[in-house]
Amino acid sequence: MAADFKSHVLLRDEKGLFGIPFKRLLLAGVGGGMTYTIFNLAVPGWSIPVAVVTGLLTIILTGLRGGIPLWQRLIYRLRGTLLLIAARYPRSPIGQLTATLELPVDLVRLDGARVFAPPSPNLDVDLREWITFAHAQETDGLVFVDAPLKEVLDE
Amino acid sequence: MSDVRTFLIEPFDIMLHATEEGVQSLQARFSTWLRTLNTPARFACWQMPATLDEKINTLSRTAKETDDPQRAQLLMEYRRHYEQLDDSAEYQRALCGMAVWSDQNARALAGGMGSSFDTSVVEGTWPALFNGRYEIRDTPFWHLAPVGRPGGRPLWAILNSYEFAPATWNFFRPLPPLLRLNFPLALVVDIPKTYERNSAIDALEGIIQAYDVHLSSVSGEDSRSVQRITDCRKALQEINAGDALHLVQLSIAIAADDLDTLKERVQAVVHETKAWFFLRHEVGELLARSLGFFAARRTKEIGLPDTTWPVVSRELALMLSPLGYRKLSATDGVLRGEAVGASYPVFHNSWRDKRATHEIWVGTSGFGKTFANNCYLTREYAENGIPFDLLEPMGHGRHIAEAFGLPWYVMSAKATRLNPQDVMFPTLIEQVSHTTRIYETVLGRPLSGGQRQNLERGLLGEALEVLYRGFTDLSKVTPDVTPTCDVVCDVLSGLGDKQATKAIAKDLADEIAGLCTGSGPWSSFLNGITNVDLTRGGRDWISPRVFSFHELESDPILQALAYTQVLSAIRRDSLIDEQPRIIAVDEVYRLMRHPSLLDFLIEAAKTFRTRRKKLVSIDQNMSVFLEPKARMIFENSPIRVIFSQRQGMNVFREDAAFQHLNQQHRDIIAALPRFHFLLDIAGESLFYLVNRPSPGELARFSTT
Repeated sequence: MAADFKSHVLLRDEKGLFGIPFKRLLLAGVGGGMTYTIFNLAVPGWSIPVAVVTGLLTIILTGLRGGIPLWQRLIYRLRGTLLLIAARYPRSPIGQLTATLELPVDLVRLDGARVFAPPSPNLDVDLREWITFAHAQETDGLVFVDAPLKEVLDE
Repeated sequence: MSDVRTFLIEPFDIMLHATEEGVQSLQARFSTWLRTLNTPARFACWQMPATLDEKINTLSRTAKETDDPQRAQLLMEYRRHYEQLDDSAEYQRALCGMAVWSDQNARALAGGMGSSFDTSVVEGTWPALFNGRYEIRDTPFWHLAPVGRPGGRPLWAILNSYEFAPATWNFFRPLPPLLRLNFPLALVVDIPKTYERNSAIDALEGIIQAYDVHLSSVSGEDSRSVQRITDCRKALQEINAGDALHLVQLSIAIAADDLDTLKERVQAVVHETKAWFFLRHEVGELLARSLGFFAARRTKEIGLPDTTWPVVSRELALMLSPLGYRKLSATDGVLRGEAVGASYPVFHNSWRDKRATHEIWVGTSGFGKTFANNCYLTREYAENGIPFDLLEPMGHGRHIAEAFGLPWYVMSAKATRLNPQDVMFPTLIEQVSHTTRIYETVLGRPLSGGQRQNLERGLLGEALEVLYRGFTDLSKVTPDVTPTCDVVCDVLSGLGDKQATKAIAKDLADEIAGLCTGSGPWSSFLNGITNVDLTRGGRDWISPRVFSFHELESDPILQALAYTQVLSAIRRDSLIDEQPRIIAVDEVYRLMRHPSLLDFLIEAAKTFRTRRKKLVSIDQNMSVFLEPKARMIFENSPIRVIFSQRQGMNVFREDAAFQHLNQQHRDIIAALPRFHFLLDIAGESLFYLVNRPSPGELARFSTT
């Protein structure tokens, strides 16, 4: 018995141009258009090149690398690098910047006992969970002994 | 917010389901459990390379400690055998777990999983992926490295799935090949969300509608959109058929001792899986966060970018395939065989319990049960120092007797003498009853049920009591002073207080004398001092013994008498102490032909285990053990070793005791090749094994 896996049935990914999905092209167009509008007010001569660059950057940065948009991946990489520097040199400017940004420096140094600590180390005995065992076994706490056990208090 | 419940799952052997129907049924059962999920869940499988070093060390230590040179020699043979196995194979140890975020009772959840996965599920904490302190390093690539002294701690890298290719999955691809890679890794199937049925249908219908609109406005070909609609419709169909829609992500942690090897292993895993799913080597903060997958932390708390993939229950069921890949388990106990397909040795310690665990072995003649039994007895004797008594009617006990240099007790009509009056029971009443039973067998009629028979029983009992009363302590009566049959007849003939009873006593004495004394047919066998050493002789420990009954083949009465006396002696010795011992009885059906012997065997099955005496009952057909009375033996024997059962498969289909076997199991039983068998340990596991003997065993027992 086997199963043929399907495409991502919850994702809309309509065809665009040059292998780029339509939604990314749309985002690049909107981004470029907005940049053009804003720059056209301040520096009209630069508005077209900036809009084109913005559009291209949007297309590139929204491209997926490992299922994550490139911009997000770059940010995670940058955060990782910052965390490493902050962990090694906490008093450095980058260390202080990391502290200001409240980045989780503790993620760099991991203690197995803490990371993999059982979610509930002490399993409380819930009296509602008493069940009747079909077979008495030693693991259930019942032990068959050869002779009656002596009372400790009597000795 | 629900608490997480973590469970440990014992992997089972997929070879026991390896047919089209078998895996189909497995997938259906897994899917059924997944359909009921309404909270986040996570399946995990940890795999570590394993060796037989622990076993080899134990054998070496035992060989040094034992005073018995023969055991020491056997132990060294087994040590070499395990070393050879270890050198020629790559073993792994695997453990599976499940985490469920639910408010349900943990035991109820474990029970539900246990019945769906058909394996043992217990609530328990997940093992840690690593111990001690680690840190993230970015050069030459992102990985986790131990801080301080490595102390054998490996480097780790983590890969997360982000896209699933439209490929065919089954229980054999693509995850099992990953588990065959001989390096430590852990695999997690994270199920952060299961859609409620209506939500799933709404979501899918929304996608279909959007794509329909898109396609209606597209002038050219858009095959991906067409395919997406087809996939959505198929998913809808499956959801409407009962499946649930889950979001899934795979995470794989890989370990290595150095960076080059780690890189190589990461590439190997990515390469191995790329036809089915794509893996992202985690970097930076994502690497640290990904560890949460292996620590039963909630997916939202891990906080990774969402790269989950929607799958329906029947697809997700195939991602649980690592459950079907049982690996090397504990090396405690003796070798019971090698797993068919996976080729790892299976050890089982049946002495863990304070009481002994009886076994039933069945199999058509010539399929290797005698050979396997000889191997098993040798292993238990060598590794645990557990002696045995082997009772067999074919004469092949010679091989094991020769292998151990043991006296071979061949019960023979010409050479053997077994005095029925030999003391086998500690009390007079039991002893008299036992001897009376022997005379009943000799006479071929019961001494009860009618007036005359009752009088006969009384008179015979009186004669025996007169004789035994001459001894102050029954337990000290040795064969050389035990009264013989002619003495019994003499005493019996003089009993009776009335004329009628005197006549009955005399007639009975004459009848017994005619059969057991003088030139009677059984006089040479029964009348005289026992010449087989069945006594304990003041020994604390009785060495292994082999009793063969093949020379009594032609006379069922003699055979019954011999079995009775030997079994009685074994019973007497077995109940004295709690030293472990194995009593293996081959061709049990021969005993079952005699009601008194069957009673004895039933009693043995019930009483021996408390005295740590394991009864191994061997026969050709399981049906023998399922007859009304013999069933008591079956029910007291939780370990069943099943060799080929081409004949008599009906019991496996019809009897309630085998309801845990599915059609695939039954097909396997019906077609087991030579030396292959199922090891069915009630309440524990079912193994499909082949007997791989050591070179020493092969040399000793190959002729059997």
